[in-house]
Amino acid sequence: MVNQEQVLDALRVVVDPDLHRDIVSLGFVQDLKVADSRVAFTLKLTTPACPVKDQLKQEAEDAVKQLDGVEAVSVEMAAEVRPSAGATGKGMIPGVKNVIPIASGKGGVGKSTVAANLAVALSQSGAKVGLLDADVYGPSIPTIMGITELPKGVGQKIQPVEAHGLPVISSGFFIRPDQAVVWRGPMLAKMVEQLLGGVEWGELDYLIIDLPPGTGDVQLTLCQRIPLTGAVIVTTPQPVAINIAEKAIIMFQQLKTPVLGVIENMSYWESRKTGEREYIFGSGGADRISEKWQFPVLGKIPLATTVRKTSDSGRPIVLEEPDSPAAVALTDVTKSLAAQISIHNMQAEAEDLVKITF
Amino acid sequence: MPVRHSYDSMSALQKDAARPLEIGRANEHDVKIRWNDGTEVVYPARFLRLECPCAVCVDELTGRRIVLPATISDDVHPAAIERVGHYAIQIYWSDGHNSGIYTWEHLRALSKRIPQAG
Repeated sequence: MVNQEQVLDALRVVVDPDLHRDIVSLGFVQDLKVADSRVAFTLKLTTPACPVKDQLKQEAEDAVKQLDGVEAVSVEMAAEVRPSAGATGKGMIPGVKNVIPIASGKGGVGKSTVAANLAVALSQSGAKVGLLDADVYGPSIPTIMGITELPKGVGQKIQPVEAHGLPVISSGFFIRPDQAVVWRGPMLAKMVEQLLGGVEWGELDYLIIDLPPGTGDVQLTLCQRIPLTGAVIVTTPQPVAINIAEKAIIMFQQLKTPVLGVIENMSYWESRKTGEREYIFGSGGADRISEKWQFPVLGKIPLATTVRKTSDSGRPIVLEEPDSPAAVALTDVTKSLAAQISIHNMQAEAEDLVKITF
Repeated sequence: MPVRHSYDSMSALQKDAARPLEIGRANEHDVKIRWNDGTEVVYPARFLRLECPCAVCVDELTGRRIVLPATISDDVHPAAIERVGHYAIQIYWSDGHNSGIYTWEHLRALSKRIPQAG
């Protein structure tokens, strides 16, 4: 006969490799039931896209099984995304736990395609995800997500369009296709303001924002307007892209917005016949800035015709060809990102944010 | 394989920087900031108002102060203070002015220039 204490003690040896703490003190173990020789509990992780989900489940099961008197162990997996430390503060969008802008220095590095696939993959993992296309100069999310309808207004707010199961708003919805955005700063700020505050997002674990390239007014307004969980940088390995990506990193640093990591897109091309890799844009770019700026490479995504085709046809590759190398890479990137978000939120919690009592 | 990155080696740069733990009142009007290095600094309200970093108060190109001390009343004080992102506060002053974003760096630098009472 075992009791609950013994089970919990046994589970303390299971350590989350990202958070460096055992699953009991992290509060992951819930609904523990011990009946004779049968043990059942739920592991509630900090994200459904946890990259070590299966490993933790296995280790927890093994740890309890080896106790004397335990014959059967049943582990249920669940997840509850923790909100970013500033999520309840001023200016935050109600109901949205984490806001993650996807940025690039240089344009044309595939930022929008990556953003759309990240959002879809996160949503497939079971999280509640929204996608906001803030690339006012070249909004491409409607094409990539295959959206043809326009959003409707509900009362004072705009109702997002649903695409592949997630709510989407694009600045492209509000600009006629035959118009170009030639705006000064205050107008851009107003637009960002509207996209953040004027949209009925509902309850979201993650809001992914596709930013315009560069370091301009949209980025500035966003970082000043709401406490972001952290930004993601997309770049190709080419020096010209890397150099400009660094400018984006410096901007986020100045605005005290954490950078969660870098994604190297168009990393290489792999021959389907020989499996040989060709590094069309060079290699090692993301690794260099990761080392220099002390944040992780979230992953490297190969160049592939199918990525381009699925983006143009409005069905992101993680849905359309989930087993293709590029889709697998994108799914891995998504898991790494989800883990980084959990890590940052835990760290911010530990550091407790500035308290204003004036 | 997804990338592992450890909790403790992260954002070393951001961790080292000075940041406030608590921003509150020293008295009816003055602002007190408790910093993460343990120091407590009292910022006289009018001094903070005169050091407003916004473009109305400081020339953006030359850095020259435009706001005239004579136009700022002696009992000016913050009506409210709000956090801006992860890096600054915005002060809503009793005279209606509110466009200044006081970054942690700015507040830190100001702590060395506080006039002695007397």
